[in-house]
Parts: sequence; C-alpha cells; structure tokens
Amino acid sequence: MTTVTTPVNVIRRDTPVGRTRVIGGIMIAMALFIMWVFAFGASSKATSIITFNPLNTSGGAPWTLGNLTVPSRLSDVVLALIALGTGIETIVRIPAKRVMARFGFVSVLFLLGLFVWTVRSGGPSPTNFIDLTDILVNASGITMVLIYGSMAGIMCERAGVVNIAIEGQFLGGAFVGAIVASATNSFVFATFAGAIVGALLGWVLAFFAIRYRSDQVIVGVVLVTMIGSLTNFLNLTFLTPYQQFNTGVTPNSIPIPLLDKIPIIGPLLFNQNMFFYLMYLLVGAMSFGLFKTKWGLRVRAVGEHPQAAASVGIRVKGVRYFNTILGGAIGGVGGVAFIALHGQFNPGFTSGLGYIALAALIFGRWRPAGAVVASIIFGLTSMLASGLQSFNVPVSSEILGMFPYIITIAVVSGLIGRVRAPAADGIPYKQD
Amino acid sequence: MLFMRLELRGITKRFGSFTANDAIDLVVEPGEIHCLLGENGAGKSTLMNVLFGLYNADGGEILINGESVHFATSGDAVRKGIGMVHQHFMLVPVFTVAENVILGFEPTKSFNRIDYATASDKIRKFSEEFGLEVDPDAIVEELPVGIQQRVEILKALSQEAELLILDEPTAVLTPQEIESLIKIMKDLAASGKSILFISHKLKEVKAVADKITVIRLGKVVGTGLPSDSEEELASKMVGRSVNLQVEKSPHNPGAPMLEVKDLVVRDERGVTVVNNISFTVNRGEVLAVAGVQGNGQSELVEAIAGLRAVESGTISINGVRVDNASPRECLDAGLAHIPEDRQRDGLVLSLSVADNLVLNTPRAPQFAGRGSRKLQAVRENAERLVKDFDIRTESVDAPVGSLSGGNQQKVIVARELSRNVDVLIAAQPTRGLDVGSIEYVHKQFIRERDSNKAVLLVSSELDEVFALADRIAVMFQGGITGIVSPDSTRESIGLLMAGITEQVNV
Repeated sequence: MTTVTTPVNVIRRDTPVGRTRVIGGIMIAMALFIMWVFAFGASSKATSIITFNPLNTSGGAPWTLGNLTVPSRLSDVVLALIALGTGIETIVRIPAKRVMARFGFVSVLFLLGLFVWTVRSGGPSPTNFIDLTDILVNASGITMVLIYGSMAGIMCERAGVVNIAIEGQFLGGAFVGAIVASATNSFVFATFAGAIVGALLGWVLAFFAIRYRSDQVIVGVVLVTMIGSLTNFLNLTFLTPYQQFNTGVTPNSIPIPLLDKIPIIGPLLFNQNMFFYLMYLLVGAMSFGLFKTKWGLRVRAVGEHPQAAASVGIRVKGVRYFNTILGGAIGGVGGVAFIALHGQFNPGFTSGLGYIALAALIFGRWRPAGAVVASIIFGLTSMLASGLQSFNVPVSSEILGMFPYIITIAVVSGLIGRVRAPAADGIPYKQD
Repeated sequence: MLFMRLELRGITKRFGSFTANDAIDLVVEPGEIHCLLGENGAGKSTLMNVLFGLYNADGGEILINGESVHFATSGDAVRKGIGMVHQHFMLVPVFTVAENVILGFEPTKSFNRIDYATASDKIRKFSEEFGLEVDPDAIVEELPVGIQQRVEILKALSQEAELLILDEPTAVLTPQEIESLIKIMKDLAASGKSILFISHKLKEVKAVADKITVIRLGKVVGTGLPSDSEEELASKMVGRSVNLQVEKSPHNPGAPMLEVKDLVVRDERGVTVVNNISFTVNRGEVLAVAGVQGNGQSELVEAIAGLRAVESGTISINGVRVDNASPRECLDAGLAHIPEDRQRDGLVLSLSVADNLVLNTPRAPQFAGRGSRKLQAVRENAERLVKDFDIRTESVDAPVGSLSGGNQQKVIVARELSRNVDVLIAAQPTRGLDVGSIEYVHKQFIRERDSNKAVLLVSSELDEVFALADRIAVMFQGGITGIVSPDSTRESIGLLMAGITEQVNV
C-alpha cells in the first residue's frame, strides 16, 4: 500500500490567555487584601495561636501536635507574599494546566490569613486561638454531603442528563433515611432505603428526560419543589405525631486503628462515620470507572456525542437510564448522610446544599477529583459562614453564604477558568 | 468474512404518506466503487440509513453474499461488515483518535480497564496497511477535517468493515484533500473492499466510480458509467436536460461599489477570524470568495452586513462607510444580503410568504402607512414576486416554513433583488438546493451583474465559483491567499485554499 502524503498538521486552539490573566489578577487582589487588611490590620505586637486538638478520638492517647504561636502581622505578610508570588507567576507564565489548583491554593492562604487576623491577641474575638483540626472536622460533614451530591450529578451529567434535582434527592433520601434509621437503629438499612428513594427520583427524571425529551432543568426544578412539599406534608402528618420515627439517631464514628492517631489527618479522615468511608470508595470507583474502563468511555461518549455512540451500537437511552437512576441513588445516600450529620429530619433543612453540590461539580469540571476539591472549598466556606460569628468577625454569614454561587457564576460564564460541560449535557437524544 | 457482495432488493421506506425510497434495487460487487448519484432530497441518505440499520425498511430485503440479513440497529450492520463514514462525522471531539476508533469495540484488561496499548498498536497496524497516516493519541477536535475523516474511515476498517458507505464525504474538504480521499478509496477497492459512495457532485463521481446508480424522488431512474458525460448524468439526476454552463457577457467592470480595507474581525471567543483583508468589488462583476468552510468567510459576510462588530479596518458601500453600522444602515446604503443559514437568518419560518417578502422593507411607504400596514399592497407585491421568481407555494399566505428548501431560497432571492440595490452579497446561496433551483439562482446573479450591480459571492463549491466568478478571492485562516482569474486551474486554487501561496503565479 502506498502512503498518501497529506500533511498531518495539528491545529492548536488559542489558549484562554485572557482568562488566565483574570484569575492571576484575582489572586493578586487577594494577596493585596491579605497584606493591607489582615497583616496591617493587626498590631505588630499581636500574636495568634493555632492549635491542633484532636477530636472524636476514642481510647488511647493520640499523637498530638503542640500549639503554634505566631506573630500575626509577620505571618500574614508571609502568606500575602506567597499568594502574590503565585498570582504573578500565573500572569507571567500563563501555565497551561493547574490554573484552578493555583487559585485554590491562594484561596486557602486567604482563609489562613483570615484566621490569623481573627484570633490575634487584642482582636475582637473572645478566644485568641483557633483550632485548625476542629475547623476542618467541622467542615468535613458538609463537605462529605456535598461530595455525595456532586457525584450524583456527575453520574447523570456525564451521560448527558442534567441532574438539577440533587436537592430533591437529598430531601427524599434524608426523609426515608431518618425513618428507617429511627425504626431499625441501623444506618445500613437507612442507606439502602435512601438509595432506593433516590433511584426512584432518578428514574422519574430519566423517564421524562428520555422518554418525553422534556427540558431536564424544568423537570429537575419541579422534582425539587415537589419533594420539598411532599416531605413537608409527610413530616407534618406522620413524623410530628409519631416522633419515634424521627428520633435523631446518628451513627457511631469508626476509628481506623493507627491511622486515626495521625495529627489533623487522623480525626479528619480516619475517625468518621461509615458514610465517609463509603464516600472514599465512591469517589475512587467513579474516577476509575469513568476514565479507565470501557463502561466509562461509553458513558462519556453518550454524554458528548450520543449519535456517535449509537452508530457503534451503544444503547444511548439504556446508558442514560442506568446512569440517571444510579446518580439518583447516590443523591439519596447523600440525603441519608445528611441525616447522619444532623440526626433529626426537618423540613427543607438541606437549605440549598444540593445546588451547592451542583456548583461544585461544575467548578470541578465534571470530574470526581475536581468536584472533591470544589466541595472542600465550598464546605469550608459554608462552615465559616456559620462559624465566623463566634469570633466576632465583622462579615455577615449570609454574604459569605453567597460565595459558592458567585464562584459558580464566574466559572460558568467563563470569567475565571474555562469549563466545558459534556457536549450533549441536557440535550434530549432523538433516535432518527 | 472476506469480500462482500451486497444486494438490495426492492427496498421501500415511507414516512407517513411520503415515500422516500420506492422499491430500490442495487448491487455492489466486491472491490467495486459504486456511486449513488442523486439530488438533495432524492432519498440517498434514507437508503443508507436503512442499509446501516438506523431505519427499518417498510419493504424489500438486504442480501449479503446471497444471504438475507436484517439489521435492527447499526451495531448489527457493523457486525455484518458494513461501515459508514457519515457526512457529519460520528466522532467525539474531546476523545483521542484511539478512543474514537475503539469506541463500542474496546479491547480490555482486568477490571474492565481499556487496553490502550493494544488499541494504539491496532490503529498503527491499520494506518500502515491502508496508508491512513494518523496519530492515535491526537485529540480529534484539534485535527483538520480531512484527517478527522481519515479517522472515520479507520474506525470503520478497524471494525472489520468489508463494505464502506461514504455519505457526501467531500463537502468539507479542499480539492487536495478530495484527491487524497479518492486515492484512499481506490486503494481500498484494490484491496477488495466494496465502497458505496454517495454524492451529487458529478466530477467526483466520474473520477472515482466503477458503476453509477442514479436515483430521483426515491426511485432508481437509471445507471451510468464514469465515461458518461456530465450533462448525461445531470439530466438523469434531474429528469430533464440541464445546461451546466452559465452564459454571461464578457467581464467589463465599472466603478468600485464595495470596498473592504484592512478588515479585522473577531469571533465570540475573541479569536481573530478575519485577518487584515482588503478587496474591492466593482460594478458589473462577480467577485467570488472561495475557501474551505470555516476560514472566516461567514464572519466576513456578517461584518459587511452589519451583523458583526468590526475590530479595525473599513468597509464602504458606494462610498458610504458602513463598518460597525447597523444592518438597517447597511441596507440603506444599497446592500442586499442573502445569508448563509436561510432558515435562521433569512426567514421567519412561521410567517407567511407575503410577510417574508417585505421583511427588508418594513418602513417602506408603499407597505406601511401611519401606524398600520398596507396589507393589500403587501399581498400584491407577494403575488407579483411569486410569479416573477417562480416560487412554488400553495398561496402567499402559507407559512414560509412549509415550502421546500429551494423555494425558501427563492423567497429570499426575490425579496433581496426586488429592492433596487447596488451591492449583492450572497453566502452559500445554493447549498442544499436541487439542480433546477441552482440554475435559477445562478441566472439571477448573472442578471444582476449584467445590470451593472456589484456581486460578492461566498461559496465553498468550486463549481459554482468557476461558473459565476469574474475574479476569485481565496480565503485561508482568515486571510486572502490570492485573488486570481477564473481561468486558473482547480489545482492552483486548491493550493491557495490550503494556504500554500508559493507555487501559484497570480
């Protein structure tokens, strides 16, 4: 056979230089904020104490870290300089990858700077130390629920069905989970019950999205509203008179021997309830499944170009049904995990967490690992929104609560970073 | 399975009361390149979709090597050795070449993991065997269209296709890429693969076919050989004799009417898509802009028509500056615009034919009084134009969306030419039209030219460009690589379309 001599030249797309610059600019602005407000807002004599007290450790003396006393102003200056350096590096070098990771890093520096400034001696806070482990452990619960939610979304959206109903799957799963956990005192049963309810809601979404090719966003919103009202009603008519079905049980923490003794990481990752360990498995399985296996390739093909998938004999509708139902089940389990955190079911008590999970999966670019990072950032902010008041920080918690949504709008509109949804996400598939 | 003889017997496919395929018989021998020639809407694609298991036939049977087969899905067809290269590529843009090729037939390791090493080896093997050079790890959306098509062919071959269906494969290629494709097809046929090639372009069909089957209105109307003349084939395809030559008077340019100078235009993403272009269109001439789709032609036209912001440079019509003017100001300066996407930009499909015919003159005193429309005048105008331009519609009150593509285009042409203008710009004006309508539209353009108007024609069909142009400007990646006379060879224009300027003597 002869070779045809057409040049195999590759067209490179223009890299989003402008947007990278915008992100770099935002990072520099954050650095300057740390510098002027946090560093120079603290007196040069003030000190801040950071502690790492372990929590939840049961039995045996844990390995601990001592307290760290740092000069407030100097620490914040150092944090500001590191942030500034990262921002300048981003603007000058325009790195092709890990721009958002740099942004996340600077965000963490910003939070640290805020802590140091908040608890400085002579500051407004009634306590002059901040317990880092405590903060992280407090944020871990919400983060865990957000991760379940974003995995629920990724599962559906990678196959091309927009799952805006995560909030509804949370509420449905939480309601049933509370009843089953109270009745049986077993969160294993509750998990199965929550998964079934979530799967059922996923099936409803899939049924309208696939069979009737309805607008998936509308179906999703309707589902959330409907489940919200339904659980309100059932709560009034059933849980209020029969309180033995809403006792507020929570699962025990399961410490992993030895690992739970590691400072910070131990209490944070290895001394938690079963839903954390299930979450590790879920994230690992989804990362592996979506990006390494035959199943994942087919799912992503269905989400990107269903006609192409169909042309090689992949059953597009089957894949979409399967993934949407599975995604719903994951969302339902997320609801049970929320009960494990809260104990009792209360109407509407997820208060928009499902939408933050949606934001996290977009921020994480429809990738499990990315969604985990986004969930951690959003989980920390959610915790801060409620926690900062105890430090008398003059920032309204309601304003801070807007943070995930502002970030999401910035990301979706392409102001910072470039995200690309699966190309066929939300587009009904029509077999011709 | 080696070598395939495909036979279609009496294939019939109906959509409601409309019969798209009517008892079609067809035989493709092993190693044969069989062309299916027909106009848009003749039923070619329907037939291929039946053959590929995407539609169920209402009658008839498919035989492979004498054995009757039934395809419920395209997967069944693929398993029987039929591969299809779709007109709109069935490739996932964000996947690599390897991922696209193995999709649906993935080699796996333990835990269902995809075995990418095996996949890449397999692709390299096929690439070498059939001379289809391609990098398995390249991301498909970053490859030029011609290479993407190669990936499609490779995909079909790796699925062990013995019969390849190529559905209008040349629409998006440069002449050089077309030549390369023709060579690939001939090599494949020589190695025993059967090829079913669908096209309405006579030149290509003659260049590549061993046998030709012509279909019209869903029926086989004849067969032909590549030695038949273009006129013969065309008249079979259309059902009457056609004149492929457009007659026009000698080129006699007058004063400059449309002047574009140092024009720079960006797209929505901020990428420069028209890069420093200058040209002039004079009275009494057709300047054709040739080039492969997506090299900035659409944005150039939109900028001239006032539909897209101009970054820098100037546009003037009849001496009036219209860069960054509103569409209304452009029209007032004497511009008529036949847009590329007629259904999106040219018509309001749910409005009547009569209303669509006055869309460009909403404030003209003959159609609009003080606060109310003169419906009688609108209707009379429509009846006159429908007659003059031979628009086939049941009434002027019918929604324009109910007309055929050719007649929709005639509505736009009639509307734009009914105003007295100086400059006509038309983007892909005959895309998707039947030969009869193409003839008609071409005649109208020449009539405008001969009545001393300036015409700017943007077309990716080289035949059209050669038929109409007095001068040809070739666009490549936003720039003009050359302005040449229509006596230039196809090859030299092809090189300009690929951005190669050295070898061409302008």
